Amino acid sequence: MHLSLEELLAVRDGVAGAAAAGHAAACAECAAEVKRLAAVRAALAALPEERPSNDVWPAVVARAAGECERRVWRRAGWIAAGLAAMFTIAIGVRGALETYAEAKLARQTETLVAESQRLEKALRSSERRERVMSGRTAGTVVQLEDRIATIDAQLARAGNDRYPSQERIGLWQERVRLLDALVSVEKSGTTYLGL
Amino acid sequence: MSVVTPPSFVVAVDELTVARARAGDEAALEALFRRFETPVYSLARRLTRSPHDAEDVLQETFLEVVRSIRRFRGDGSLAGWIRKVAASKALMKLRQQGARGREEELFDDLAGHTSGDGPGGSPAPGTAAERVDLETALAQIPATARAVIWLHDVEGYSHDEIAAMAGRTASFSKSQLARAHARLRELLAPGVREGTCT
Repeated sequence: MHLSLEELLAVRDGVAGAAAAGHAAACAECAAEVKRLAAVRAALAALPEERPSNDVWPAVVARAAGECERRVWRRAGWIAAGLAAMFTIAIGVRGALETYAEAKLARQTETLVAESQRLEKALRSSERRERVMSGRTAGTVVQLEDRIATIDAQLARAGNDRYPSQERIGLWQERVRLLDALVSVEKSGTTYLGL
Repeated sequence: MSVVTPPSFVVAVDELTVARARAGDEAALEALFRRFETPVYSLARRLTRSPHDAEDVLQETFLEVVRSIRRFRGDGSLAGWIRKVAASKALMKLRQQGARGREEELFDDLAGHTSGDGPGGSPAPGTAAERVDLETALAQIPATARAVIWLHDVEGYSHDEIAAMAGRTASFSKSQLARAHARLRELLAPGVREGTCT
């Protein structure tokens, strides 16, 4: 009875029991098969290496940077939430002195702040870390997060003005637009956003 | 695909580059990537189904290297560590693919006529044409068996190590290795008759 393939492989690898090793030493056919299996192993090891057709490093850098940025951005998100809360309080005490135009601006800003908070919540609940992004997509995410961080810095510099201004509304509008784009990228991996 | 040197993780990396990479120096991390990009991709390409999957594995492997190299203490070789990360990521990719595909079922169809195969095989591949045949045959082996034959016969992992990485038993690894060789023999020399007992 010849050795099974598992036994022949064990002989080839030098881990067979005495009985199998003894048989392989005495049986010309099994010895030839052990030799053939060793040659297959050598032939596999001699197969040529392959190179990726795309340069993957930029995607690694973008994803690593994105993870770092997201940590920073999460903190910035809390700052933005704080700013939004202060703004809401300021709106609440504005009283009857405000003009109709000011009240309209305030309502617009309140709507934008609420939309911004909704989009941030959607982003926080996504499982984007588990996904493999293309380099271009990861780069787009990082770019968007950078721009949102810049808007947050501008809002922070604008301070807690009692009255909403067209400039502040513009900043909140831009923040909502960027967050919306970020949600789209996260969901679909789309890289063209017309930004 | 372009052909380069034989597969090997035997790559010389100077200690200064490793130290700089551990400190987060991007140029040093890229230098490591460039040194190991080909062996990692080759390993991934042998284990996964497509160049796209292999590039995903390459990306995941080096993202892990960038994240964790600060914790690499140098107890083993850097090449060994990176190779193990790559093998784990490739096996993870296989598991994800396995959840979606039927490859294991197809493999099970083969199991019946491969057990207990003994001598009587084809000549081992040696010439360039035979290497092409071997490469084609290797690509046709079901994913799990292909992963095991590559990790064991080429990368030199033991059955225990493969079992630990794949979350299976050493017996499973041994049986997959035997099945992979049986399938290779069948693909390389269809119709070869088994030898008779003497």
